[in-house]
Amino acid sequence: MIELKKQVTFNIHRMGEDKKPYLETFQLECTEATTVLQALETIKADLDGSLTFRRSCRASICGSCGMFINNRSRLACRTKVKDMVDLNSDEELILEISPQKNQPVIKDLVVDITPFYEKIEKNNPFIQEGSEKVEQVDKTSYEQVNMVSNCIMCGSCYSDCTALAENKNYLGPAALAKMFRFVADPREGQKKKRLKELSKKNGIWDCTRCGLCIDACPKGVAPMEAIVKLRTRAIESGITNNKGAKHAMVFKNDLAKGGLLNEFWMILKTFGLFGAIKQLPNAVHLAKKGKIPPIFSEKVEGFEEIDAIFKQLKENPINVETKKEDDGPGAG
Amino acid sequence: MKIHDILIVGAGLTGLRAAFEGITADLDVAVLTKVHPLRSHSCAAQGGVNAAIDKDDDWRDHAYDTVKGADFIGDEDSIELMCKEAPQAVLDLDDLGCPFSRNEDGSIAQRAFGGASFARTAYAADRTGHAMLHTLWEQAIKHGTHIYQEYHLLKIIKNKLGHACGVVAMEIATGKLEVIRAKTVLIATGGYGRVYKANTNAMINTGDGIALAMKAGANLADLEFVQFHPTGLKTSGILISEGVRGEGAYLIGKDGKRFMSKYAPNKLELASRDVVSRSEAMEIMAGNGVDGAVFLDVRHLGRDLILERLPQIRQLSIDFEGVDPVDKPIPVRPTCHYTMGGIRTEKLGQTNVKGLYSAGEASCTSVHGANRLGANSLLETIVFGKFVGKEMVRFIKQDYIQQEDLTVDEDVCKDTVELLNKIKNQSSESGIRPAILREKLTEAMNKFVGVFRNEELLAQGLEKILEVKADFEKVCVDDKSDCFNTDLLTTLELGNLILLAEATVKSALERKESRGAHTREEYPARDDENYRKHTIASINDKGHVVISYEPVRLVNNDRYKPVERVY
Repeated sequence: MIELKKQVTFNIHRMGEDKKPYLETFQLECTEATTVLQALETIKADLDGSLTFRRSCRASICGSCGMFINNRSRLACRTKVKDMVDLNSDEELILEISPQKNQPVIKDLVVDITPFYEKIEKNNPFIQEGSEKVEQVDKTSYEQVNMVSNCIMCGSCYSDCTALAENKNYLGPAALAKMFRFVADPREGQKKKRLKELSKKNGIWDCTRCGLCIDACPKGVAPMEAIVKLRTRAIESGITNNKGAKHAMVFKNDLAKGGLLNEFWMILKTFGLFGAIKQLPNAVHLAKKGKIPPIFSEKVEGFEEIDAIFKQLKENPINVETKKEDDGPGAG
Repeated sequence: MKIHDILIVGAGLTGLRAAFEGITADLDVAVLTKVHPLRSHSCAAQGGVNAAIDKDDDWRDHAYDTVKGADFIGDEDSIELMCKEAPQAVLDLDDLGCPFSRNEDGSIAQRAFGGASFARTAYAADRTGHAMLHTLWEQAIKHGTHIYQEYHLLKIIKNKLGHACGVVAMEIATGKLEVIRAKTVLIATGGYGRVYKANTNAMINTGDGIALAMKAGANLADLEFVQFHPTGLKTSGILISEGVRGEGAYLIGKDGKRFMSKYAPNKLELASRDVVSRSEAMEIMAGNGVDGAVFLDVRHLGRDLILERLPQIRQLSIDFEGVDPVDKPIPVRPTCHYTMGGIRTEKLGQTNVKGLYSAGEASCTSVHGANRLGANSLLETIVFGKFVGKEMVRFIKQDYIQQEDLTVDEDVCKDTVELLNKIKNQSSESGIRPAILREKLTEAMNKFVGVFRNEELLAQGLEKILEVKADFEKVCVDDKSDCFNTDLLTTLELGNLILLAEATVKSALERKESRGAHTREEYPARDDENYRKHTIASINDKGHVVISYEPVRLVNNDRYKPVERVY
């Protein structure tokens, strides 16, 4: 077999000591085996030693080389050039690389990872003593723990998180997945205290469930699923006196009652009377577009089916302590 | 100026385990690392950690396996400490929250590994090092250990009495040099496997701590013993775990036939790593390889088992070698994996420089002797991290004399600053790019200091290395900035590798026997009479690397008497 070799253009978003961003283009011959990290290493070795990026293990286990490659955060070491551009095409092959998002850039493709880690460090990322601790573990005890233990803290999910883009104080997917690792561990003694803490502002209820963290994760951690499980556990533990939980409960109760969400009551129940008044400008805006819902809604057509689902759920509740086969939201 | 009680360089398993001992003894502990602690290479260890936990196992058997695996040149006092303390060291980690895989009854599960007489390898799925590293990092956060994160070690400093009293390091983000003072310094910077072109190591494994300790007057030992892992991927050198052979994989040649029965009739593919790597090299030399590789075959295990038990391995093979092991055997070859040699230490990590300690792969204690057994490296990190940590605490509380570190030369950074300026100021017209030198160095190590060695090859290797060393005086970098200058720092790493390469080849030239991972074609037998001793490499007054010897530490146990190693 003749090895396919093609000239590829690397458009790299750079920034030097003067903190002025600029775009630089490098041309490099790539084969089907070339990884983006190898390409960057070759550029640094032969063309421009000042091109700066983090890297270490080159086998997607250390999490150093996270960067934004062709519109998605990826690990450079496990991303093949041929998967980013079509080496068989006769057109110019262009690959675009920029630093991860949602974090300050230090230089070129290197971002400041301090905020990312601070959000983990300030939330007690270690097993704690307490009354909820279970001493005896068995073969299945860590099945939920294992789900998130693959995390290599590469920051890909943090970079691509849409909630973080709007609110830089949000803990973000990786920190919450790490928290799930403790809440799910039978040996953890402070599960409820953690859930309470995480139910506050900037915690589990700030996730918009867009799912991009699942797509971005190179290790299959699925942080959003961990967040949904934290929410379920929080509500099951009775931690409902917060906007996020209230919002979810209104949703559920409305659907169970009539199969239709009543936005009017939802806002009132989630935010309270004064909070709801603050939402008035939004309501006016919606009213202008003819989007104001009726204050009292009727049951929807085919409500029996929805009712059946809720009955089914009531008889077979999702056990959040389930250790075996994970059938929680979004599983699989 | 602030003086830490303990300064640990390296935030892998050894460093963080030692930090835990120091900080829980209420001392001021700081850890310095050139990457975030969780990106230390400990995270890549897949297989597991050996410990005689099972009631049918005995630490004495573990110790014997280790003495034999080391080809009778390991220090028996250190080996006994490691194996005896192994179960407790694993249980410590378990207590701190490490999710070790379990048996049905809740006890810690264990699997079989090469060179072991019992299935005594505990594991956390196929990411044991990763799980252990996270656990110890969590403890570092819990106890508020000070971490100099993304600081590059440049020099180990000594006071006027010649005692280690701190380091010079660069804050990578700013390029600022800092003198960090401490009563004791622990070097836990890992190995220097990057000195070979084909290696399984992370790119940070450049032996900085070992080389700089040598420059500070520490003795190094047994550098000639370099472990070649039998199953590195042919193209990238990325590791395929021994666990795959543990699951029943075969090694086959070009002819499609298994060959290990010729070399290790009992243990076959699960003989110790030096034996398997040597067998592969012989098959390749005899023409039974393809492109310098043999094949790891798992096809007979069946698609279901491969998908169930070896999913990561399958993915690595597809991603980095373009081969799906379900359909085709994986091309593998002996690949530099682990450096048994390192900073020479006593049983509890003390070096010949007072106040300077070492543990883990950076050290030569020596628990691995001439050949390390699989899953003994993670064990070394947590046992010696613990006990060297305790020893430093004892030293500080009992023996440390305060006056010692009042005086450090004011120009302690002078030579470091000069070196950095020299490299930065070297023009690109008359200078040599570091990548060219790195290529030449690592290729020479591969070609001349590989699995099979002889006087002629080693002499040629030394010549090449000395050429690179001379050229390094003219090395130049593109990046002249202070901010996150990895161009400069990787060049300094190259300088460390060059020194260690020279010391390795000189050590190998002088060991005129074959033992463990060191095979001399003209001296095929082990020579206990003349060479059951440690090779010591150090830098003399004139700045030259010189070789001397030191006896092996024995414990007078008849069971450990050298015999022929058969697997």
